[in-house]
Amino acid sequence: MLAALLAVPVPWLMARQRVFRRSPRAALAVWQAVTVGALASGLGAAPAALAVVLRDERPMAHLGTLSVLGAGSGLLLARLIVSGHRVGRHLRVLRRRHRELVDIIARHADGRLRVLAHPAPTAYCVPGLSPRLVISDGTLSRLTHDEIAAVLAHERSHLRARHDLLMEFFTVVHEALPQRLRRTEVMAEVRLLIEALADGAAVKEVGRMSTARALLALSGSATPEAALGAATTASPRIEVLAAGPLPRVVSALMYGYAAALLAVPVAVAAWSVR
Amino acid sequence: MARPPLSPRSPSSPRSPRMGDLERVVMEHLWESMAQDEAEGGATVRDVHAKFAGEREIAYTTVMTVLDRLSRKDLVTRVRDGRAWRYRPSDTREALTAATMRNTLDEIDVTNRRLALLHFLDGASSAELADLKAALAEIEARGS
Repeated sequence: MLAALLAVPVPWLMARQRVFRRSPRAALAVWQAVTVGALASGLGAAPAALAVVLRDERPMAHLGTLSVLGAGSGLLLARLIVSGHRVGRHLRVLRRRHRELVDIIARHADGRLRVLAHPAPTAYCVPGLSPRLVISDGTLSRLTHDEIAAVLAHERSHLRARHDLLMEFFTVVHEALPQRLRRTEVMAEVRLLIEALADGAAVKEVGRMSTARALLALSGSATPEAALGAATTASPRIEVLAAGPLPRVVSALMYGYAAALLAVPVAVAAWSVR
Repeated sequence: MARPPLSPRSPSSPRSPRMGDLERVVMEHLWESMAQDEAEGGATVRDVHAKFAGEREIAYTTVMTVLDRLSRKDLVTRVRDGRAWRYRPSDTREALTAATMRNTLDEIDVTNRRLALLHFLDGASSAELADLKAALAEIEARGS
Protein backbone atom coordinates (compact mmCIF):
# COMPACT_ATOMS: atom_id res chain seq x y z
CA MET A 1 0.00 0.00 0.00
CA LEU A 2 2.63 2.45 1.10
CA ALA A 3 4.81 1.49 -1.82
CA ALA A 4 1.97 2.25 -4.22
CA LEU A 5 1.33 5.57 -2.52
CA LEU A 6 4.96 6.63 -2.75
CA ALA A 7 5.47 5.29 -6.24
CA VAL A 8 2.61 7.01 -8.01
CA PRO A 9 0.97 10.17 -6.67
CA VAL A 10 3.79 11.61 -4.57
CA PRO A 11 6.21 12.01 -7.48
CA TRP A 12 3.35 13.18 -9.63
CA LEU A 13 2.62 16.01 -7.21
CA MET A 14 6.24 16.80 -6.48
CA ALA A 15 7.36 17.10 -10.08
CA ARG A 16 4.90 19.93 -10.45
CA GLN A 17 6.19 22.00 -7.54
CA ARG A 18 8.62 24.24 -9.34
CA VAL A 19 9.46 26.33 -6.33
CA PHE A 20 11.50 23.47 -4.82
CA ARG A 21 13.95 23.77 -7.68
CA ARG A 22 15.38 26.78 -5.95
CA SER A 23 16.78 24.49 -3.30
CA PRO A 24 18.03 21.65 -5.47
CA ARG A 25 20.07 19.89 -2.81
CA ALA A 26 17.12 19.57 -0.45
CA ALA A 27 14.79 18.67 -3.33
CA LEU A 28 17.14 15.87 -4.38
CA ALA A 29 17.23 14.61 -0.79
CA VAL A 30 13.43 14.42 -0.85
CA TRP A 31 13.46 12.57 -4.17
CA GLN A 32 15.96 10.07 -2.87
CA ALA A 33 13.93 9.60 0.30
CA VAL A 34 10.74 9.01 -1.70
CA THR A 35 12.51 6.50 -3.92
CA VAL A 36 14.29 4.65 -1.14
CA GLY A 37 11.10 4.68 0.95
CA ALA A 38 9.07 3.23 -1.91
CA LEU A 39 11.68 0.56 -2.60
CA ALA A 40 11.94 -0.35 1.08
CA SER A 41 8.17 -0.67 1.31
CA GLY A 42 8.01 -2.75 -1.83
CA LEU A 43 10.86 -5.04 -0.84
CA GLY A 44 9.79 -5.21 2.79
CA ALA A 45 6.12 -5.97 2.14
CA ALA A 46 6.60 -9.74 2.03
CA PRO A 47 8.90 -10.14 5.06
CA ALA A 48 6.74 -7.76 7.12
CA ALA A 49 3.56 -9.61 6.23
CA LEU A 50 5.27 -12.90 7.07
CA ALA A 51 6.20 -11.59 10.50
CA VAL A 52 2.62 -10.49 11.14
CA VAL A 53 1.10 -13.71 9.87
CA LEU A 54 3.39 -15.95 11.91
CA ARG A 55 1.96 -14.45 15.09
CA ASP A 56 -1.56 -15.27 13.93
CA GLU A 57 -3.51 -18.23 15.37
CA ARG A 58 -3.90 -19.85 11.98
CA PRO A 59 -1.01 -18.75 9.74
CA MET A 60 -2.05 -21.06 6.92
CA ALA A 61 -5.22 -19.05 6.30
CA HIS A 62 -3.15 -16.18 4.90
CA LEU A 63 -1.14 -18.26 2.48
CA GLY A 64 -2.72 -16.59 -0.57
CA THR A 65 -1.94 -13.04 0.54
CA LEU A 66 1.55 -14.06 1.53
CA SER A 67 2.39 -15.64 -1.79
CA VAL A 68 1.11 -12.62 -3.71
CA LEU A 69 3.22 -10.25 -1.59
CA GLY A 70 6.19 -12.60 -1.77
CA ALA A 71 5.99 -12.74 -5.54
CA GLY A 72 5.69 -8.95 -5.69
CA SER A 73 8.70 -8.27 -3.48
CA GLY A 74 10.74 -10.98 -5.19
CA LEU A 75 9.95 -9.64 -8.63
CA LEU A 76 10.90 -6.10 -7.60
CA LEU A 77 14.20 -7.33 -6.18
CA ALA A 78 14.98 -9.30 -9.32
CA ARG A 79 14.17 -6.39 -11.58
CA LEU A 80 16.35 -4.03 -9.53
CA ILE A 81 19.31 -6.38 -9.74
CA VAL A 82 18.95 -6.87 -13.49
CA SER A 83 18.45 -3.15 -14.14
CA GLY A 84 21.36 -2.18 -11.90
CA HIS A 85 23.66 -4.57 -13.66
CA ARG A 86 22.58 -3.50 -17.14
CA VAL A 87 22.67 0.25 -16.59
CA GLY A 88 25.94 0.14 -14.67
CA ARG A 89 27.78 -1.94 -17.22
CA HIS A 90 26.43 0.05 -20.17
CA LEU A 91 27.47 3.37 -18.64
CA ARG A 92 30.95 2.17 -17.73
CA VAL A 93 31.61 0.89 -21.25
CA LEU A 94 30.33 4.06 -22.94
CA ARG A 95 32.32 6.32 -20.64
CA ARG A 96 35.55 4.38 -20.94
CA ARG A 97 35.32 4.35 -24.74
CA HIS A 98 34.57 8.04 -24.86
CA ARG A 99 37.37 8.89 -22.46
CA GLU A 100 39.92 6.92 -24.48
CA LEU A 101 38.74 8.52 -27.70
CA VAL A 102 38.86 12.06 -26.32
CA ASP A 103 42.31 11.42 -24.89
CA ILE A 104 43.54 10.65 -28.39
CA ILE A 105 41.75 13.23 -30.53
CA ALA A 106 41.61 16.24 -28.18
CA ARG A 107 44.32 18.60 -26.98
CA HIS A 108 45.46 17.95 -23.45
CA ALA A 109 45.11 20.99 -21.26
CA ASP A 110 46.16 20.87 -17.62
CA GLY A 111 45.05 17.83 -15.65
CA ARG A 112 41.92 16.16 -16.92
CA LEU A 113 40.75 19.00 -19.15
CA ARG A 114 40.53 18.15 -22.85
CA VAL A 115 39.90 20.61 -25.68
CA LEU A 116 38.22 19.46 -28.88
CA ALA A 117 39.29 21.37 -32.00
CA HIS A 118 35.81 22.17 -33.24
CA PRO A 119 34.03 25.48 -33.88
CA ALA A 120 30.71 24.39 -32.32
CA PRO A 121 30.50 25.21 -28.63
CA THR A 122 30.12 22.31 -26.24
CA ALA A 123 31.05 21.49 -22.67
CA TYR A 124 30.57 18.26 -20.79
CA CYS A 125 32.22 15.88 -18.42
CA VAL A 126 32.89 12.16 -18.64
CA PRO A 127 32.30 10.91 -15.10
CA GLY A 128 34.02 7.92 -13.56
CA LEU A 129 37.08 7.02 -11.55
CA SER A 130 39.28 8.65 -14.16
CA PRO A 131 37.07 11.56 -15.19
CA ARG A 132 37.52 14.06 -18.01
CA LEU A 133 36.31 17.59 -18.57
CA VAL A 134 35.74 18.33 -22.24
CA ILE A 135 35.20 21.69 -23.93
CA SER A 136 35.55 22.78 -27.53
CA ASP A 137 37.34 25.65 -29.24
CA GLY A 138 33.87 27.00 -30.02
CA THR A 139 33.24 27.40 -26.28
CA LEU A 140 36.61 29.05 -25.71
CA SER A 141 36.12 31.57 -28.51
CA ARG A 142 32.52 32.43 -27.69
CA LEU A 143 32.68 32.80 -23.92
CA THR A 144 34.49 35.32 -21.76
CA HIS A 145 37.05 34.25 -19.19
CA ASP A 146 34.53 34.35 -16.33
CA GLU A 147 31.91 32.47 -18.31
CA ILE A 148 34.40 29.71 -19.09
CA ALA A 149 35.28 29.61 -15.41
CA ALA A 150 31.57 29.18 -14.64
CA VAL A 151 31.22 26.31 -17.09
CA LEU A 152 34.28 24.56 -15.67
CA ALA A 153 33.11 25.11 -12.09
CA HIS A 154 29.75 23.60 -13.04
CA GLU A 155 31.31 20.50 -14.60
CA ARG A 156 33.88 20.10 -11.83
CA SER A 157 31.11 20.09 -9.27
CA HIS A 158 29.42 17.25 -11.21
CA LEU A 159 32.63 15.26 -10.97
CA ARG A 160 33.48 16.16 -7.40
CA ALA A 161 30.03 15.37 -5.99
CA ARG A 162 29.64 12.30 -8.24
CA HIS A 163 26.29 13.51 -9.58
CA ASP A 164 26.56 10.72 -12.11
CA LEU A 165 26.02 8.15 -9.33
CA LEU A 166 22.84 9.94 -8.28
CA MET A 167 21.62 9.94 -11.88
CA GLU A 168 22.58 6.28 -12.18
CA PHE A 169 20.60 5.38 -9.05
CA PHE A 170 17.44 7.04 -10.35
CA THR A 171 17.94 5.47 -13.78
CA VAL A 172 18.33 2.00 -12.30
CA VAL A 173 15.08 2.36 -10.37
CA HIS A 174 13.36 3.92 -13.38
CA GLU A 175 14.31 1.04 -15.63
CA ALA A 176 13.48 -1.56 -13.00
CA LEU A 177 9.87 -0.39 -12.92
CA PRO A 178 7.34 -1.78 -15.36
CA GLN A 179 6.63 0.55 -18.28
CA ARG A 180 3.30 1.69 -16.82
CA LEU A 181 4.84 2.89 -13.57
CA ARG A 182 7.82 4.72 -15.06
CA ARG A 183 7.70 8.45 -14.60
CA THR A 184 9.70 10.21 -17.30
CA GLU A 185 8.87 13.58 -15.78
CA VAL A 186 10.56 12.49 -12.57
CA MET A 187 13.75 11.65 -14.45
CA ALA A 188 13.60 15.03 -16.19
CA GLU A 189 13.07 16.79 -12.87
CA VAL A 190 15.96 14.97 -11.19
CA ARG A 191 18.20 15.84 -14.11
CA LEU A 192 17.19 19.48 -13.87
CA LEU A 193 17.81 19.52 -10.12
CA ILE A 194 21.30 18.08 -10.61
CA GLU A 195 22.07 20.77 -13.18
CA ALA A 196 20.69 23.45 -10.87
CA LEU A 197 22.88 22.08 -8.09
CA ALA A 198 25.99 22.33 -10.27
CA ASP A 199 24.92 25.84 -11.33
CA GLY A 200 24.84 26.70 -7.64
CA ALA A 201 28.45 25.58 -7.32
CA ALA A 202 29.37 27.79 -10.28
CA VAL A 203 27.56 30.74 -8.71
CA LYS A 204 29.60 30.29 -5.53
CA GLU A 205 32.85 30.33 -7.48
CA VAL A 206 32.30 33.00 -10.11
CA GLY A 207 28.98 34.65 -9.33
CA ARG A 208 25.43 34.62 -10.59
CA MET A 209 25.95 36.93 -13.55
CA SER A 210 28.73 34.95 -15.18
CA THR A 211 26.88 31.68 -14.65
CA ALA A 212 23.70 33.06 -16.20
CA ARG A 213 25.64 34.60 -19.08
CA ALA A 214 27.44 31.30 -19.73
CA LEU A 215 24.07 29.53 -19.88
CA LEU A 216 22.79 32.07 -22.36
CA ALA A 217 25.95 32.06 -24.46
CA LEU A 218 25.91 28.29 -24.82
CA SER A 219 22.18 28.03 -25.45
CA GLY A 220 22.62 30.22 -28.51
CA SER A 221 24.21 27.23 -30.19
CA ALA A 222 20.94 25.52 -31.01
CA THR A 223 21.63 21.81 -31.30
CA PRO A 224 19.49 19.62 -33.57
CA GLU A 225 17.57 18.30 -30.57
CA ALA A 226 16.61 21.80 -29.50
CA ALA A 227 15.33 22.51 -32.97
CA LEU A 228 13.10 19.49 -32.59
CA GLY A 229 11.58 21.07 -29.51
CA ALA A 230 12.79 18.52 -26.98
CA ALA A 231 12.47 19.78 -23.42
CA THR A 232 15.65 21.53 -22.39
CA THR A 233 16.84 22.68 -19.02
CA ALA A 234 18.02 26.14 -20.08
CA SER A 235 14.91 28.16 -19.20
CA PRO A 236 14.12 26.62 -15.80
CA ARG A 237 17.77 26.88 -14.79
CA ILE A 238 17.99 30.56 -15.58
CA GLU A 239 14.69 31.06 -13.74
CA VAL A 240 16.24 29.38 -10.72
CA LEU A 241 19.29 31.64 -11.01
CA ALA A 242 17.07 34.71 -11.26
CA ALA A 243 14.95 33.72 -8.27
CA GLY A 244 17.89 32.84 -6.04
CA PRO A 245 17.94 30.17 -3.34
CA LEU A 246 15.01 29.48 -1.05
CA PRO A 247 15.15 30.66 2.57
CA ARG A 248 17.01 28.29 4.87
CA VAL A 249 13.83 27.50 6.79
CA VAL A 250 12.22 26.05 3.69
CA SER A 251 15.23 23.88 2.91
CA ALA A 252 15.30 22.69 6.51
CA LEU A 253 11.62 21.74 6.25
CA MET A 254 12.36 19.85 3.04
CA TYR A 255 15.14 17.89 4.72
CA GLY A 256 12.74 17.15 7.57
CA TYR A 257 10.18 15.90 5.10
CA ALA A 258 12.82 13.66 3.51
CA ALA A 259 13.70 12.20 6.89
CA ALA A 260 10.03 11.61 7.66
CA LEU A 261 9.57 9.81 4.36
CA LEU A 262 12.37 7.44 5.31
CA ALA A 263 11.05 7.02 8.84
CA VAL A 264 7.61 5.80 7.74
CA PRO A 265 8.66 2.46 6.23
CA VAL A 266 11.07 1.91 9.12
CA ALA A 267 8.25 2.53 11.61
CA VAL A 268 5.92 0.18 9.76
CA ALA A 269 8.61 -2.50 9.70
CA ALA A 270 9.28 -2.06 13.40
CA TRP A 271 5.59 -2.36 14.12
CA SER A 272 5.22 -5.54 12.07
CA VAL A 273 8.04 -7.40 13.86
CA ARG A 274 7.13 -6.01 17.26
CA MET B 1 68.57 4.60 -10.38
CA ALA B 2 66.56 5.12 -13.51
CA ARG B 3 63.56 2.92 -13.88
CA PRO B 4 63.75 0.54 -16.86
CA PRO B 5 61.72 2.08 -19.67
CA LEU B 6 59.70 -1.02 -20.40
CA SER B 7 58.24 -2.42 -17.23
CA PRO B 8 57.67 -6.16 -17.29
CA ARG B 9 54.17 -5.87 -15.86
CA SER B 10 51.50 -6.18 -18.50
CA PRO B 11 52.11 -3.43 -21.01
CA SER B 12 48.68 -4.03 -22.53
CA SER B 13 46.77 -3.38 -19.33
CA PRO B 14 43.98 -0.98 -20.32
CA ARG B 15 44.31 0.84 -17.03
CA SER B 16 47.90 1.75 -17.61
CA PRO B 17 48.05 5.51 -18.18
CA ARG B 18 51.20 4.95 -20.23
CA MET B 19 49.26 2.95 -22.79
CA GLY B 20 46.78 5.77 -23.42
CA ASP B 21 49.67 8.18 -23.72
CA LEU B 22 51.43 5.97 -26.26
CA GLU B 23 48.25 5.53 -28.27
CA ARG B 24 47.99 9.29 -28.58
CA VAL B 25 51.61 9.78 -29.59
CA VAL B 26 51.49 6.98 -32.16
CA MET B 27 48.20 8.28 -33.56
CA GLU B 28 49.73 11.74 -33.91
CA HIS B 29 52.68 10.25 -35.74
CA LEU B 30 50.34 8.47 -38.15
CA TRP B 31 48.37 11.64 -38.80
CA GLU B 32 51.60 13.51 -39.53
CA SER B 33 52.73 10.83 -41.94
CA MET B 34 49.45 11.20 -43.81
CA ALA B 35 49.85 14.96 -43.97
CA GLN B 36 53.27 14.53 -45.51
CA ASP B 37 52.34 11.91 -48.04
CA GLU B 38 48.68 11.23 -48.69
CA ALA B 39 49.30 8.19 -50.90
CA GLU B 40 52.18 6.54 -49.09
CA GLY B 41 51.30 7.68 -45.56
CA GLY B 42 50.86 5.41 -42.59
CA ALA B 43 53.49 3.28 -40.96
CA THR B 44 54.43 -0.27 -40.18
CA VAL B 45 55.23 -1.46 -36.68
CA ARG B 46 58.90 -1.29 -37.64
CA ASP B 47 58.54 2.34 -38.84
CA VAL B 48 56.89 3.43 -35.60
CA HIS B 49 59.44 1.56 -33.52
CA ALA B 50 62.30 3.18 -35.43
CA LYS B 51 60.70 6.61 -35.17
CA PHE B 52 60.55 6.49 -31.37
CA ALA B 53 63.88 4.72 -30.89
CA GLY B 54 65.64 8.04 -30.42
CA GLU B 55 63.07 9.76 -28.20
CA ARG B 56 61.72 7.09 -25.91
CA GLU B 57 62.53 3.47 -25.37
CA ILE B 58 59.53 1.48 -26.48
CA ALA B 59 59.75 -2.23 -27.06
CA TYR B 60 58.80 -3.54 -30.48
CA THR B 61 56.05 -5.66 -28.93
CA THR B 62 54.64 -2.61 -27.18
CA VAL B 63 54.33 -0.82 -30.51
CA MET B 64 52.48 -3.88 -31.81
CA THR B 65 50.11 -3.75 -28.88
CA VAL B 66 49.49 -0.02 -29.29
CA LEU B 67 48.68 -0.37 -33.00
CA ASP B 68 46.49 -3.37 -32.29
CA ARG B 69 44.54 -1.42 -29.68
CA LEU B 70 44.10 1.54 -32.06
CA SER B 71 42.91 -0.88 -34.69
CA ARG B 72 40.35 -2.42 -32.35
CA LYS B 73 39.06 1.08 -31.60
CA ASP B 74 38.64 1.61 -35.35
CA LEU B 75 41.01 4.57 -35.24
CA VAL B 76 43.44 2.92 -37.68
CA THR B 77 43.04 0.54 -40.59
CA ARG B 78 45.75 -1.76 -41.86
CA VAL B 79 46.72 -2.88 -45.32
CA ARG B 80 49.29 -5.42 -46.49
CA ASP B 81 52.66 -3.92 -47.28
CA GLY B 82 54.90 -6.72 -48.47
CA ARG B 83 55.16 -9.09 -45.51
CA ALA B 84 54.13 -6.51 -42.94
CA TRP B 85 51.01 -4.52 -42.12
CA ARG B 86 50.91 -0.83 -42.88
CA TYR B 87 48.72 1.11 -40.45
CA ARG B 88 46.90 4.24 -41.55
CA PRO B 89 44.55 6.52 -39.62
CA SER B 90 40.97 5.61 -40.47
CA ASP B 91 40.15 9.31 -40.62
CA THR B 92 41.66 12.74 -40.04
CA ARG B 93 41.69 14.19 -36.56
CA GLU B 94 39.25 16.87 -37.72
CA ALA B 95 36.76 14.32 -39.05
CA LEU B 96 36.97 12.22 -35.88
CA THR B 97 36.46 15.32 -33.75
CA ALA B 98 33.43 16.35 -35.80
CA ALA B 99 31.98 12.85 -35.53
CA THR B 100 32.52 12.85 -31.77
CA MET B 101 30.81 16.22 -31.43
CA ARG B 102 27.85 14.96 -33.45
CA ASN B 103 27.55 11.79 -31.41
CA THR B 104 27.51 13.60 -28.11
CA LEU B 105 25.03 16.25 -29.24
CA ASP B 106 22.63 14.21 -31.32
CA GLU B 107 21.15 11.97 -28.67
CA ILE B 108 17.58 13.14 -28.39
CA ASP B 109 15.93 10.82 -25.90
CA VAL B 110 17.01 10.36 -22.34
CA THR B 111 18.82 7.09 -22.84
CA ASN B 112 21.85 5.60 -21.20
CA ARG B 113 23.92 6.91 -24.05
CA ARG B 114 22.92 10.42 -23.23
CA LEU B 115 23.34 9.74 -19.55
CA ALA B 116 26.92 8.64 -20.00
CA LEU B 117 28.13 12.23 -20.37
CA LEU B 118 26.91 15.16 -18.35
CA HIS B 119 26.55 18.14 -20.65
CA PHE B 120 26.63 21.69 -19.44
CA LEU B 121 23.56 22.42 -21.49
CA ASP B 122 21.22 20.37 -23.61
CA GLY B 123 20.48 23.24 -25.98
CA ALA B 124 17.60 25.66 -26.13
CA SER B 125 14.93 26.42 -28.72
CA SER B 126 14.74 29.85 -30.31
CA ALA B 127 11.52 30.55 -28.40
CA GLU B 128 13.34 29.82 -25.17
CA LEU B 129 16.20 32.11 -26.12
CA ALA B 130 13.98 35.18 -25.86
CA ASP B 131 12.87 34.14 -22.36
CA LEU B 132 16.47 33.49 -21.39
CA LYS B 133 17.55 36.95 -22.47
CA ALA B 134 14.69 38.50 -20.51
CA ALA B 135 15.64 36.54 -17.41
CA LEU B 136 19.26 37.54 -17.77
CA ALA B 137 18.28 41.21 -18.08
CA GLU B 138 16.28 40.80 -14.88
CA ILE B 139 19.29 39.43 -13.01
CA GLU B 140 21.46 42.17 -14.47
CA ALA B 141 19.02 44.88 -13.39
CA ARG B 142 19.10 43.69 -9.82
CA GLY B 143 22.87 43.57 -9.83
CA SER B 144 25.00 41.03 -7.99
